Amino acid sequence: MAQRVRPTVLAAERVVPVSGMLEGLLPGGGLQRGSVTALDGPPGRGVTSLALHLIAATTAAGEWAAFIDLDGSVGGLAAAEAGAALDRTAVVRGVPPDRWAAVTASLVDGLTMVVAEVPSRCRASDARRLTARVRERDAVLVVTGAWPVEAALTLRAMGGAVTGAVGGEVDGGWSGLTPEGGLLEQRCLCVAIEHRGATRTVALAG
Amino acid sequence: MSAGSAERTCCVWCPDWPVVAWRQADDALIDRPVVVLEPAAGAPVVRAASIEARAEGVRAGLRRREAESRCPGLVAVDVDPLLEARAFEAVARAVESITPRLVLDRPGRCAFPTRGPARYFGGDEEVATQIMSAVETIGVADVRVGIADGAFPALLAARGPGPGATWVVPPGESAEFLASWPVGVLRLAGDTGPGSGVGSGVEESPDAAGALADLLVRLGMPTLGAFAALSESAVTGRFGRTGARAHRLARGLDEHPPALTRPPPDLTETAELDPPAQRLDVTAFAAKAMADRFSAALADRGLACTRVVVEAETEHGERLSRCWRHDGALDAPALAERVRWQLEGWFAAPPSRRSCARPRAAQDDAAFEESYEPSTAGIIMLRLVPDCVVPATGRQLGFWGGDPAAADRAARALARVQGLLGPGAVTTPVLQGGRSHDERVRWVPWGEPREPARPDRDARSGIDGDPAAGDAPTWPGRVPDPAPARVYEPPRPAELLDAQGRPVTVTGRGECPAPPAHLRSDVLPDGGGTIAAWAGPWPEDLRWWDRLTRRRRARWQILTDTGVAALVVLESGRAALEAVYD
Repeated sequence: MAQRVRPTVLAAERVVPVSGMLEGLLPGGGLQRGSVTALDGPPGRGVTSLALHLIAATTAAGEWAAFIDLDGSVGGLAAAEAGAALDRTAVVRGVPPDRWAAVTASLVDGLTMVVAEVPSRCRASDARRLTARVRERDAVLVVTGAWPVEAALTLRAMGGAVTGAVGGEVDGGWSGLTPEGGLLEQRCLCVAIEHRGATRTVALAG
Repeated sequence: MSAGSAERTCCVWCPDWPVVAWRQADDALIDRPVVVLEPAAGAPVVRAASIEARAEGVRAGLRRREAESRCPGLVAVDVDPLLEARAFEAVARAVESITPRLVLDRPGRCAFPTRGPARYFGGDEEVATQIMSAVETIGVADVRVGIADGAFPALLAARGPGPGATWVVPPGESAEFLASWPVGVLRLAGDTGPGSGVGSGVEESPDAAGALADLLVRLGMPTLGAFAALSESAVTGRFGRTGARAHRLARGLDEHPPALTRPPPDLTETAELDPPAQRLDVTAFAAKAMADRFSAALADRGLACTRVVVEAETEHGERLSRCWRHDGALDAPALAERVRWQLEGWFAAPPSRRSCARPRAAQDDAAFEESYEPSTAGIIMLRLVPDCVVPATGRQLGFWGGDPAAADRAARALARVQGLLGPGAVTTPVLQGGRSHDERVRWVPWGEPREPARPDRDARSGIDGDPAAGDAPTWPGRVPDPAPARVYEPPRPAELLDAQGRPVTVTGRGECPAPPAHLRSDVLPDGGGTIAAWAGPWPEDLRWWDRLTRRRRARWQILTDTGVAALVVLESGRAALEAVYD
């Protein structure tokens, strides 16, 4: 009976709202629950920062998040600077490749958002099984690295220096540190958002 | 037994059990000064020390370095609760040959009510002698036995005499016996073994009892007698539940008022294992889920469990059972931990010890052997039976707590991953004081208290009259913000070269004769590149007053022409990549 009288849930209500610098840029206003988002991009160009911002947006809404950190190097201070609630953020380290799928599935069962670095030899069958699990649990799985199947949404971090972005040319990248002196201050990060075949590029002021 | 008075109890205590267990496992440690270290906030501290180390002034709670400086040639080993539990199983069996109603506190300490055995053997002194010889037969040299009214006086009576002696406090004299002890011993009642910080969260931690003891000394009550002389209502009014509990102990009463009702039988939690579990981790995993359900069922009725019987049945029809007790109350992680200790003891009991532990009196040899061959068969059933329940004094959920169900779900999922990978694999960052980015974060295993090892700001500076000083960072020379998203610990190898392709150097004055021009590292995309801009070198001279731990480093913030920012550190002529601003 409870099943039958349960109110209808619209797709727009099944979204983890994303605030901060990504606000208003993602399709639907946030990350769709029950879907897989892929983060992509060459190393050093802001993939980790983007992942930490997604964690920050989720934990700020009172949800729980986990980060599967394969080489044990994610910076806790950077997570705090991005605005993550550290007491609701778990970082899982030392995951052997053969247990990666089991660990990720366990985390998806209980946490709203799981950011997982994918080991290099992730099987497509594991990936499909995880996708089904995520849909069933209404969680959000964010994968970085070589995800062998298609994801609902792809965010590609491209550092600075991209032409033809929305709003004209962007001379992105780090500011503050110049050959004349100074220190790193902030970064203008270019992100390409791929959703249902369409791609658009936006610049995020960090 | 009048209402409120305590049951006559015998406490069997093996001092420094972690050391004894390690020596049984590793012969090389015998006759050498040994300390067992447990992780604490910051550096590991000594949990137990051997008698040789104690003679040199090593005490529990010292940091490793201080212990080593007091006692040269010290051997330090890490705490291993499973090893301790396994080794103590032999002692538990030896004691069980004399009395069946054994209750384990933690590895190294157990207790039992003496009413039955004392009538059988003809007096408390006889029981103590029997226990002593039974335990010494299995090769444990230092064992102490104390008998008194109540668990706490018995525990103190066991600490009273020297090695190999017993102390029997006559019935009804527990209060007088306790009166002369310093209040600091209240701390012992809460000490429930390794990892107690994880499990003892429901009521109060040993720290609360310790803080109370310190306060009592400052209030002019150095002994338990002086504390017990206060009125109960005054103590409860001033010190709350912790004080009331300590006051009961000091007066020689049991910690909790005696339970008038038996625990309802439907609280018993049973799990059948099919196929039979042959390995510890499989069984322990099932036990963890059981412990969660068990605690939830108790919590639904507003009860908490202070004593639980762990029962197992094997394929061959053997039944094993053992009772564990916890000061305060057993919550789910503490319960799961005890079941794990117990299973470890059953699965891995060494056959030699088993034959040594054969009782010389009181019981049938054949029956004894039959009941203790568990490792021959897999375990088909596990059962948790509440032996002693008290009303739960409750745990207040956070006012801004959010969705408690979501928190529960997350905690369960993370605990499951900890079961798969080990507790240290799931961590959470805690910010703390420090200079470099890796020093400023402490990774705490999930479920442990989130406490920084070093303060971020100086707490004293706010008191000195200048309110603004309270906000001043006390870590001058910190690496400036923003924080890098990737911090490599230890730093990854890298090459920092000048325009001529020679490694960059820094002089003793912190100057750089040839500025850096190229950065190479496997971590960076395309293996590095030409440097577009840099800031530095920032020299750092740490602990220059100590010849052994002194470190001299210089750092650069570097931006390559491909737009990748990194932090490079130069130490003893070698460059390394410390962090990438990913």
